[in-house]
Amino acid sequence: MSDTTELKNENDSPQNLDLQIPLDGKSKLRKWLNMNFRIEMTDGRVLIGVFLCTDRDANVILGACSEYLASGEGETEEPRVLGLVMVPGRHIVSIQLDDTTPPQNYYY
Amino acid sequence: MENVVPSSEVTYNWVDITSDFFKHIQDLQLGELLHDGHLFGLFEAMSAIEMMDPKMDAGMLCNRGNPKPLNFPQAVAAGKLKLDDFEPSELIGIMDATMSCIVSWLEGHSLAQTVFTNLYLHQPYSIPNKLLKSYCIAIYKLLDCIKDCINKAQVFEEEDFQPMGYGYRLGSNPQSGNAYDASLDVSEQKCIALLREQEDVLNKKARVNEEDPHNLWSALAARIRFTRMFYQALLHQGKELNLWKNLIHQTQWGFEPMINQRLLPPTFPRYTRIKPRAEALQYFDELVSRLRRAWKITSCTNFHTALDFFMEFSRQRACILSRSALQLLYLSPSPATTASMAQSAMNGPVGQPRPQHAFVEILRESVKSFVNPPALTPKSPLMSSAQLINAREFVENFLARCVRPFAVLLQVCGHNRARQRDKFAMLLDEFAALQEEAESVDAVLSGAVGSPPRACFGTWILYHVLRVMIAYLLSGLELELYSVHEYHYIFWYLYEFLYGWLVSAVGRAESLGGEGVKRQDAKRSGSRKQKKRSRPYAREGLMCQVMQNMCGGYYKALVAFKLQGKIRQPQPEFDNEAVRYKHRFAPLSVLTPPQVHYHEFCEMTQPLQYENPVILYLGGCKHFQQARSLLETISVPDQEVTDLLKVAKTNFVVLKLLAGGHKRDSTTPPDFDFTVHRHFPIIKLM
Repeated sequence: MSDTTELKNENDSPQNLDLQIPLDGKSKLRKWLNMNFRIEMTDGRVLIGVFLCTDRDANVILGACSEYLASGEGETEEPRVLGLVMVPGRHIVSIQLDDTTPPQNYYY
Repeated sequence: MENVVPSSEVTYNWVDITSDFFKHIQDLQLGELLHDGHLFGLFEAMSAIEMMDPKMDAGMLCNRGNPKPLNFPQAVAAGKLKLDDFEPSELIGIMDATMSCIVSWLEGHSLAQTVFTNLYLHQPYSIPNKLLKSYCIAIYKLLDCIKDCINKAQVFEEEDFQPMGYGYRLGSNPQSGNAYDASLDVSEQKCIALLREQEDVLNKKARVNEEDPHNLWSALAARIRFTRMFYQALLHQGKELNLWKNLIHQTQWGFEPMINQRLLPPTFPRYTRIKPRAEALQYFDELVSRLRRAWKITSCTNFHTALDFFMEFSRQRACILSRSALQLLYLSPSPATTASMAQSAMNGPVGQPRPQHAFVEILRESVKSFVNPPALTPKSPLMSSAQLINAREFVENFLARCVRPFAVLLQVCGHNRARQRDKFAMLLDEFAALQEEAESVDAVLSGAVGSPPRACFGTWILYHVLRVMIAYLLSGLELELYSVHEYHYIFWYLYEFLYGWLVSAVGRAESLGGEGVKRQDAKRSGSRKQKKRSRPYAREGLMCQVMQNMCGGYYKALVAFKLQGKIRQPQPEFDNEAVRYKHRFAPLSVLTPPQVHYHEFCEMTQPLQYENPVILYLGGCKHFQQARSLLETISVPDQEVTDLLKVAKTNFVVLKLLAGGHKRDSTTPPDFDFTVHRHFPIIKLM
């Protein structure tokens, strides 16, 4: 939990002095691994799954992913289970992070 | 979906990180993956489905700004689905679109994405219009019938046919969650009667409007009639089929392409394009003639002619339904079922009575007509009755063992061309075991008679083994698996060994068969003149010689090309010829005649390395010339003969030119053009 709060603080104020060495982008991305992501795509669909992998073009791989149809009035409809998916960066509209669950692994 | 935790029970606290995310990724190198190295790697990454890719993302099509697809009751409630008072043109539209969907299904798409995009088929019993209702019920029955036929024949692969039904059966509907209601199912007779009744009604209406040149009622009647005939033909396998009238209309109701999109599994990769109606019509037209051709198998009384028929039918790349129909028309139960029954009988407890297959009789007849072994003639003067019973037992055991491999051989011929190759290779293993058995049966039989060994059963098996071996090697040419620098040993092997052996196997069969005939004649009537010996395999022997000469021609030409540096060779340290050779002939290694190994190939072809290319070209020329004159002796040439003749003539001229020094110094590789014949290319100089 401390990881994520720290992360949030840091996001809010980039000049945060709590951290002696500013983390580079890679380490920050690494902290998000294995956390739940909510990605909205250009066609309006929303994908919720575990963040597993990314690259410089923002292609994102989500594990145990579910698809929700256009979420105008809340995500009421049954999701469709997709499993492992790759979302091309150019189709990503927004990315949200779920900060209620700590990452599954504390390797880093 | 029951096991999935409803989303409402999980609470999330979403924090937007879009801009940070896109900022942070800029710290990654091009091509660098950021991932948890312990749990997730490139391998896992490769198996992810790509979103927004129309081929992989089945969900993508659902929300292209379209309103949510309506199911049957919703569409009716919204007035989007007409249920009665149809114009004839509207009914024609629905029927033709349904036929297009069936064709798309038969070409390998799923039922859910094709035929069951038709909402009328979701609840046929809720349609007040009698004609449409009967038609929909008949379509259900027709689909069942097609599925049954294809499932029985077992000659499909995932690219040919999707057997999944997604829960659609007459009397059930996965869309509205109805449980299956058996009382709604109709019998075959009732279905046919329903269609007949509608046909009569339509014919009457057609007669009333007789003066109308575009009489849509008669067009409708023709469609109903076609549906009925097609259904009946499939039920009874082979009644005459009449074609449905060629009339294409555009008005249509009730098709909802997206209706089943969410029934599909997540990784469903297919983007289904429904066949245009004109093409669908043509497909049915061709399907009917393919089925008619398949029907001709019933006049093949002999296993050999039947096998030739199967191979010829396969060459024409028929569709899955006609390939399946052929299997069922020849053998009932189907070759696939026969094979698995034989397998379970073999694995059963010893001493159990053998189940009698119709196929055993076919094989017995085949051996008899091919080599006519004394053990299969009704009364052999050479054996005592005790010996005879003993010998018979041996033969019966052997034939029972033959059932599975030979049934599988027929089944393999029913598969699509690309899949046959691997299956032939597997089949060769089974034939290897049969060969051993055939030899011991021959030994026992000749021992019993006390005569010099006569390899009757051995010859029969050898003949089939060689044909499978040849089919295996040739399929590599047809499927374009070999590189040009490999052609020389493929053709060498066919020329020096396989076709040569096949010629001698056919010759031996002829002389063995001849002996049998003489034996009988001598016994029957001493005084009668000996019958003129017919040569049943004359044409087959001739064709083998043609093929052998063709292969010889290619082989010599290829060696000459190599000597003149016209064929690009791989670097041996990266692409070793011995390794390739071993791989190409690996399936042939378990059988008699033994495989010719790479070192033997090198030794045998060594002298040619020092040959003058001109001599080789002339040698090749002679082979093509020989093939040509053999082919010209055939009085009734079929398409195959005509094609081969064209190839042989052209290659003869090309090699003659090369022998004369044409383009001697050019290192441009020659082109091998397979458009005229799938195995034997026309050599083209560029």
